[in-house]
Amino acid sequence: MVTTRTAARVAGVLWLLASTAALGADAAPELRLVFIAYENPDQLVEDVAPVISYLEQALGREVRHFAATDYAGVVEALRNETADAGFMGPLQYVMAHHQAGATPIVGEVYGGSPSYRSRIFVRTDSGIDSLAKVRGRTIAFVDPISSSGYMVPLEIFRGAGLIKQPAKAERFFKRIYFAGGDEQAIRAVYNRFVDAAGVGQYAYGLLRPEERDELVAIAESGPIPSHCVVVRRGLDPELARRLQQALLALGDGSHRELLARLYSVDGYVAVTHETYADVERLARDYGFIED
Amino acid sequence: MPRPASFRDRRCRISSRCVRLGLLAALVAAGSVVATRAHVVPPERLHPVAESYRLMGFLLALNPIDWDRVEAASATIGERLLALEPGAGGAYRTAIAERIATLRSAEGTGLSSPAERKAAASEILDRSTRAVVTILERHLRAARAALGDYALATHHLEQARRIWAAFEHEIKATDRRAFLRLGQCWLELVEALGNPGVLGLGAVAADPAAFDEEARELVDYLDLGYGGEILRPARGSLLPLPGHSPTFDPDALVPPKLPPGSELNKQLPRPRQILNMAARGVDESETALIALGDMAFDSSFVFGEPARSLAISCNTCHNKGVTNPGLFIPGLSARRGGLDVSNNYFAPHASNGHLDPVDIPDLRGIRFTAPYGRNGRFDSLREFTRNVIVNEFNGPEPDPVLLDALVAYMLEFDFLPNPSLAPDGSLAAGAPEPAQRGAAIFRRPFEQLGGRSCATCHVPSDSFLDRKRHDIGTVAGAEAHSRDRALDTPTLLGSRHTAPYFHDGSAPTLRAVVEWFDRSYALALGERAISDLTAYLETIGDGVQPYEETTFTLEAEMEEFSFFLSAFEFLAARDERELLDVTFRTVAQEIRAHKWDVQDAAQLPVLDRLAELMDAAVAANGRGDGAAVAARVADYRALYRQNAEHLR
Repeated sequence: MVTTRTAARVAGVLWLLASTAALGADAAPELRLVFIAYENPDQLVEDVAPVISYLEQALGREVRHFAATDYAGVVEALRNETADAGFMGPLQYVMAHHQAGATPIVGEVYGGSPSYRSRIFVRTDSGIDSLAKVRGRTIAFVDPISSSGYMVPLEIFRGAGLIKQPAKAERFFKRIYFAGGDEQAIRAVYNRFVDAAGVGQYAYGLLRPEERDELVAIAESGPIPSHCVVVRRGLDPELARRLQQALLALGDGSHRELLARLYSVDGYVAVTHETYADVERLARDYGFIED
Repeated sequence: MPRPASFRDRRCRISSRCVRLGLLAALVAAGSVVATRAHVVPPERLHPVAESYRLMGFLLALNPIDWDRVEAASATIGERLLALEPGAGGAYRTAIAERIATLRSAEGTGLSSPAERKAAASEILDRSTRAVVTILERHLRAARAALGDYALATHHLEQARRIWAAFEHEIKATDRRAFLRLGQCWLELVEALGNPGVLGLGAVAADPAAFDEEARELVDYLDLGYGGEILRPARGSLLPLPGHSPTFDPDALVPPKLPPGSELNKQLPRPRQILNMAARGVDESETALIALGDMAFDSSFVFGEPARSLAISCNTCHNKGVTNPGLFIPGLSARRGGLDVSNNYFAPHASNGHLDPVDIPDLRGIRFTAPYGRNGRFDSLREFTRNVIVNEFNGPEPDPVLLDALVAYMLEFDFLPNPSLAPDGSLAAGAPEPAQRGAAIFRRPFEQLGGRSCATCHVPSDSFLDRKRHDIGTVAGAEAHSRDRALDTPTLLGSRHTAPYFHDGSAPTLRAVVEWFDRSYALALGERAISDLTAYLETIGDGVQPYEETTFTLEAEMEEFSFFLSAFEFLAARDERELLDVTFRTVAQEIRAHKWDVQDAAQLPVLDRLAELMDAAVAANGRGDGAAVAARVADYRALYRQNAEHLR
């Protein structure tokens, strides 16, 4: 992933130089978008090409794009100004906001909702039917820097009065694992490697249909604002507004093919920093941001 | 946009809700996120090395072996090995290529024996097993070397973990303790990579000592089980077992598993099925034998292993009594929509030892299309059906009532109505002009066809067939001048919607069929005549509404399950406990397979309850408690009636 990130940075610099050269004429400066690639970055770059064409037409300027393989790469690209806008999760956004002055413009609508939830899954044959019964057992989360895959599921336990502080979570569980992905975490409980998993709701759909009946959710969180598109500090506000409008227009019902290439979202809603106020509070609580 | 509730508020809500509603509500919530139509089972996503290895393990146990596919799979493994360890990679590729070449040469001259084939298969799989282990270990080693470079280390560890899937299925079944422990090893390895944080925050340093400890355990296990002497299952798949592990269970059964690249999903939208009695307005609840046949057609419990465990039924190939154009099993299918049903995988005892996949035939109008089988080898539909159950899919000798039921059900299959056809099979008035010109060509005798026309065999007044077998030149014979090439004349009714064509599916379109005849018999038709004849075939092969209008199938499926259960009183009165068992198991299995199709996830608990009632009926039937069985069936019917309108 470093290789990809490094390549992305280098490419970003090259594009910046190229666009600076091009600016000698009257052409509008290009927009540089960084995507998050969950699997194959090259494939993603190819897949979103029609979306880029759409944005170029909507914005009246060239749009360059590249993919980072982790959120840190997206955030760094915005901070380093090798990208003007990027796709990221809510926690990464608030971190990017605090460290690099990033601003959200739209949130994803997925499954008809601009938010999603975290859930605690156990096996149906585990005998665990309450959060209290997870005490002294093992649990898999997704990643320590994740809203739906760590902070929020841990908050479910805190809300039930079972954990006083995040730092003391190890006292409640026998062992906490970070499995490295939603699918790995939910498969860890499916395969009995751990007793429970705290994951985003969509992890359940990553199991094969015949596997799903073996797991049950014993608790869920309230809504978490969906992943978002974020612009860097200093981007021309008019360009940011036009990008926001272009992305919002994708949800008008006539761009399903393009949306299918954009993480299969249903569309976008306008968001502001306030949308992420709860995530921000949690991030502060967990030490991910400092004032 | 609605503002999210504060986390504090949310926490209160969460805790009280969980206590009050418990598991049921939580399961509903879990289901609510799942995309609809989940009975379309997605393909397993495997690393190319694991995928190639698992495919190879399946192919090498077949007879005959598809050496082309084995060679392609070994090339994928060899390429990865070459990139990581050039010496070992080169040796592997050379050894496999030479072994396959020797076998091909021997098979070409008829000099290979079953023992030689099995020895070669074994040797190739052993070499490939060690190659896969080497690749996995090299990725682990690379991850270790990259500790500190989080992205690179993650990449290599992820590669290793995905390659592990090559062995996971067998280990999970036969060495449970090791499977669990090694699963935790992988989690520990992820932890040992540390975390780079975001912009420096949340960073955790890598832990080389922890990494070494976990990696050593994995490597030791791999070397023990797969590095040296390799243990195999007594029968079936060649894929090796971790028999040298201290916790290996020699009596464990490895569940059947089809290889990567297999496709058993049914077509969507589904073909429209017309049952004659239903089309006549008959109340389906009063046709018990047909209902039992419908159930049996959808039941994998009628078949034996491995079809039963793989949930394969008649309906898997003949979706709604028609075809399944997407069906494919590597090594057993030559192309999509076809399968070799005389292979040694589904029914080893009845294998004919050569690869002869046939395109799945459409069963519409089957009461008019005897004889049966692509080569017309069965005059009786009953005998044909028994052969499918016993000799193609390894099932037990079917109960005579069950066989009667299956035949009764299939005899109801109607052709699609076709307004372009008159009762005598001629074109109705108003048919398109190209089709009318094509009809004349269809009836025209050709000298090149021995003075016969298309209509000589595809007799329009007799469902476009002649009930005879002909060698038209589409079959490669066993030897020169052999008399084993004849095939039954197929009907052309409905054919527009059942591509591909010919017994082996080698013609993708009706036009391709016409062109084949033109080319093979030097008919010199010319472009216009080819187009006209194609238009004629498309017209007579058409039908009203060939597919269902919706891709949401749950409502229709649930109605069908009620139809299955309408045979209950008939079976109970005859004390047919085995058939009751099959019926209840089939309904439960089908509900569980289709429940993810529900559009309103809040209905999932109802579907689960219906399946549980069928489980309870199975248990009561097993105890011989007829009253409890009847009570559970009544409960099912009542619950279904109450909720039918929501189960969509």
